[in-house]
Amino acid sequence: MELAIIVPLLAAAVQSGTPILYATLGEIVTEKSGVLNLGVEGVMILGTLTAFVVALTTGSPVLAFVAAGVAGTLAAAIHGMVCLWFRGNQVVSGLALTILGTGLADYLGNAYVGRTAPGFSPVALPLLSEIPIVGPIFFNHDPLVYLTYGLPPLIWYGLMRTRPGLCLRAAGEYPAAATAAGLDVAAYRWFGILGGGFLMGLGGAYLSLSYTHLWTNNLTGGRGWIAVALVIFAFWRPGRAVFGAYLFGGIMALQLRLQASGTQLPSSLLLMLPYALTVIVLVLSSWRRGASEAPAALGVNMEPAD
Amino acid sequence: MSGKTPLIRLQAVSKSFGPVHANRDISLDIEEGRILALLGENGAGKSTLMSILAGQLQPDAGTIFHDGAPIELTSTDKAITAGIGMVYQHFKLVEAMTVAENIQLGHGGGMWLNWAEINDEVRELAAFYGMKVDPGARIADLSMGEKQQVEILKLLHRRSRVLIFDEPTAVLTPSEADNLFATMKLMVGQGKAIVFISHKLEEVMAIADNIVILRRGEVVDRVAAAAVASTVELAERMVGREVLLEVDRQAVEPRQIVLKVEKVAGDGLQAIDMEVRQGEILGIVGVAGNGQKPLVEMVCGLHRPPAGSIRLLGMEWRKFFADQKWDLALSYIPEDRQGLATCRNLDLVDNFLLTTRGGFVRGPWLQRRQAEEKAKRLIDEFDIRPPNPQALAWQLSGGNLQKMVLAREFYRKPRLIVAEQPTQGLDIAATEDVWRLLLEAREQAGILLVTGDLAEALALSDRIAVMFEGRIVATFAIDDREHVARIPQMMAGLEITA
Repeated sequence: MELAIIVPLLAAAVQSGTPILYATLGEIVTEKSGVLNLGVEGVMILGTLTAFVVALTTGSPVLAFVAAGVAGTLAAAIHGMVCLWFRGNQVVSGLALTILGTGLADYLGNAYVGRTAPGFSPVALPLLSEIPIVGPIFFNHDPLVYLTYGLPPLIWYGLMRTRPGLCLRAAGEYPAAATAAGLDVAAYRWFGILGGGFLMGLGGAYLSLSYTHLWTNNLTGGRGWIAVALVIFAFWRPGRAVFGAYLFGGIMALQLRLQASGTQLPSSLLLMLPYALTVIVLVLSSWRRGASEAPAALGVNMEPAD
Repeated sequence: MSGKTPLIRLQAVSKSFGPVHANRDISLDIEEGRILALLGENGAGKSTLMSILAGQLQPDAGTIFHDGAPIELTSTDKAITAGIGMVYQHFKLVEAMTVAENIQLGHGGGMWLNWAEINDEVRELAAFYGMKVDPGARIADLSMGEKQQVEILKLLHRRSRVLIFDEPTAVLTPSEADNLFATMKLMVGQGKAIVFISHKLEEVMAIADNIVILRRGEVVDRVAAAAVASTVELAERMVGREVLLEVDRQAVEPRQIVLKVEKVAGDGLQAIDMEVRQGEILGIVGVAGNGQKPLVEMVCGLHRPPAGSIRLLGMEWRKFFADQKWDLALSYIPEDRQGLATCRNLDLVDNFLLTTRGGFVRGPWLQRRQAEEKAKRLIDEFDIRPPNPQALAWQLSGGNLQKMVLAREFYRKPRLIVAEQPTQGLDIAATEDVWRLLLEAREQAGILLVTGDLAEALALSDRIAVMFEGRIVATFAIDDREHVARIPQMMAGLEITA
């Protein structure tokens, strides 16, 4: 009896956690290179819109998915130009990017509001989905969810076990040391920004290709901001990001179910739940050791003299 | 020098920053299996020379030869490829990473990192040079000596042939320093070339094969270490004999005591006694790092003296700094004029107000317009360029910024002035201006002058105090020629009894 409630809830947690996971992983890659990108929300929503429009016009969800990644990369490139070329303030640039992204998506997407587009549908994986409990929770989703199962280990491996990953981390920790070692810090930071933007765009695409198959304004609904907070919660580790993303996905799914069940609690209070949890999580992780785990040069621009 | 082609040869290398010659016509050879010491005071041009070798600065003139062929070190990367490696005074290590990760950083090689293999390699290399380093340890958990070993291992691992050490013992304990010297000997035994930059005479004597002495950007002397009889001789060569001449100047009648230091100890100081009277300049000389810095910081109220007493203008230290007035009191002209004395992004008026605002307040309001007029007048009077009160501090050259600091501080009509390396990095004209201003200020104030430039101390001081290892070795009047002639010996720590 209880399983019949919990298993679908957990499956829904994985599903709603997936776009947050893409975005969090993207932000981890960016921040590891020493750049703080607070524009996640804006980058995501541009990915969402791009995916929707491309899916609508070409009918190909795969193409739409990739296009959203490219759109995310281009949006993040604005941040890169401001921070790396003009040495602008990373916080201000990121905030501006969020405002620009959400505004642009609302404006350009106005014509599409309420329309539906082809997207991905759940595909039960043979054998794996037969496993009791685990099967229905993890292996009865659309392909975009399965893709995220491989991403965290891949990113972890790339950062910790490859030479470019080592150099990218050095650029985020102590650019002067990287420079003294003859590395081009700016190049690694560009990689962090653009690669991160690509993943954020993919996260946005999930919302219009899988989560819903339609376009409405503000489809990301603050998921980008949750991703920013989750990076701190995850101590900049891809593995912990999975845990955090599903936790938030779970809260979002729970909140929807509670609303549907006709509880006495006011819906505005329920809607607030994920964001309240964000604040709690942030306080808890910085209380423990969050700040000391951050890349040491996060948010610090390279000056020509370095 | 030897008949072999040197690994690196500098020929007539020059580098200027504006009117200041940081390096002028420098020629030297860096040879395999030899330790070359670059000796000189702060500001003698050692760091500039080093940055040129590391590919961070480009010389204005001159040629660098690598294995006999001219080479242009236009980037850090090029210098590394040429086999030139640098052990910086401030380590370039990523604190959050492990030893092995730091060593791999910027190291060419494959895409994938096999940590087990790399760790073995590091361990082997460290053992070969007699170092005990755990490749998996995080840098943040290491001592300064161990961090330095990692820096050295970085260079050895990428097979650097020239290792440049910038004041490597400054951060080490004596036993760590001994370890370092043993490692250095081992490395030259392996055919590496070492450049050892220092102003510590004993160390240079102990470790160097060849010594090149820099002063005001020029090579003033080059000797084989074996040909130097003692640290005293080295000190003489470093300071230069010609400056030990009498300087013609007018004495002012000294009046009341404005600074009295009694038995101050701690922070590397030992039983410091001294006094400064209005109307005189007391010059503190000595090789940098012998206690000048803590002494100045205590006198200027930055640190409480751990023991002993300091009286300023007749007041006890604590009371003086508790209710310090903006004028008729103490002015501090710090060595670090860009950091401690001014704010680089404020304009000249705001910088002027930093220490003089007490004179421009009415109730809670700052009378900025009056301050601006006053600043404008001072800019004219002191000939500060550009003559624009809206100019930001960083837009001024070192000399003009220093004049601006002096103008501001003298406006406070101080009765005690502490001037620390007041002409370091200034060109000759600006140096003369600053000297003239200090001599004029002596009429109203007692001046404590701390300088590494003996010529400056001799030109300005009425009395000289020599510091060595936290003590004042001797204090004497400038016309006491016997003592003045022996300053180099005292700086080297000999003749404590004098």
